[in-house]
Amino acid sequence: MLVSNIEMFSPSSLSECLTYLSQSSKKHKLIAGGTDAAVRMKEGKWRPEIWINIKNLKELRYIEEKDGCIHIGPLTTHTDILRSDLLKRKADVLVEAAREVGATQMQNMGTIGGNIGTASPAGDTIPALYVLGALIEISSLNTKRLVPIEQFFIGPGRTILRENEMITGILIQPQHPNEIGIFQKLGPRKAQSISIVNVAISLKMIEGKHCHGGKIAFGSVGPAIIRAKKCESLLSQGPLTEELIQNIAKVAWKEVLPITDGRATALYRRDMASALLERGLYRLLRRWENR
Amino acid sequence: MKTIQLKVNGAVHSISCPPAKSLLDVLREDLGLTASKECCGKGECGSCTVLINDEAACSCIVLAGQADGQEIITCEGVGLNPNLDAIQESFIEEGATQCGYCTPGIIVSAKAFLNGIDHIPAVDEIKTALGGNLCRCTGYTKIIKAVQTAASRNSSEKEPVKG
Repeated sequence: MLVSNIEMFSPSSLSECLTYLSQSSKKHKLIAGGTDAAVRMKEGKWRPEIWINIKNLKELRYIEEKDGCIHIGPLTTHTDILRSDLLKRKADVLVEAAREVGATQMQNMGTIGGNIGTASPAGDTIPALYVLGALIEISSLNTKRLVPIEQFFIGPGRTILRENEMITGILIQPQHPNEIGIFQKLGPRKAQSISIVNVAISLKMIEGKHCHGGKIAFGSVGPAIIRAKKCESLLSQGPLTEELIQNIAKVAWKEVLPITDGRATALYRRDMASALLERGLYRLLRRWENR
Repeated sequence: MKTIQLKVNGAVHSISCPPAKSLLDVLREDLGLTASKECCGKGECGSCTVLINDEAACSCIVLAGQADGQEIITCEGVGLNPNLDAIQESFIEEGATQCGYCTPGIIVSAKAFLNGIDHIPAVDEIKTALGGNLCRCTGYTKIIKAVQTAASRNSSEKEPVKG
């Protein structure tokens, strides 16, 4: 399929879009910000017969808190996330992750739904969504289901989305005042880079250096995001002293499952996953003490 | 083929083109606006940066059909000789260009950045704002200096006239 022969349909509402998805006989793909989709088309990897352009579906671009959850529309851009006071207060780790996506242009164009749907193991917002207990709302014309983000991915670039479905919402648990999070990323350069390793951490603090548990999710060191549950189980074993933090970092070295690729070797990724977690925990504690 | 409406640098155009053609190609081939450049072609270098509804975006990975009905500003729209913008004057003054391939994209990114602030930015702020624009010749010292110079020109213009 030549690029010049690819058609485009731009639905004017979500229901029109879902109707099209349920009826289309053509090979279709959704495109939002295009920061991945357009590149893959140019590289010849993705050549649908028709693009379904959802970029301008304004009804899917929102950030709001209701019924004890924060609801984020899939077409919310990374820039929208950076500017949101609600997320700065109650989902700090997601704001930090959005800041690390590409650079200004990518943040303006790219959407959180696209970051999830692309299902890259290196997607920056995904580990943050893991530690915030995200649920993904998936809709087709006649069905709607809520899926924990852990169950959404089935491999690099692969998700449970069916042909007639799309992501229509992201729900996260707001952080309590004693919860703090951090996102740490190592890329080949500071701006505009794809993660070699990244990690999102969210801790429930009690007093001083004591914490009541937390969540740790690594990106880019496995076929999907890795929840470091062994590391997590150590968090509440005592005050987060230097010794305990170093132990947790050692456990992380074993718990990640990286491969060697064009960006880094597996061994380097293990070392860096361990170092990023250690650094992240120190930084979180300092923030907690200076809050 | 599809007919799309684009408002580019203030003028409305109706263009017939394949909807999956890049916005950059439409600007360069259909409208003859060749300031925006294709370099990496995948949104990593920023030399194709334009403003879409006032926000910086890489036009090489925006599809024409997606830009339908949107408002686009290119480097030509920031300013053309002899009516250059303060940011363009500053680039000339500071010698912040060498081969010039990245310059139009940087000018557009800098324009968007300066539109959103009303102070003279620190070096780190400028680095963050221009993080998506790569230059392979001069290094960034003069570019950063030029953005600061432009910011101080803008702020001196805004000061009320005394007397």
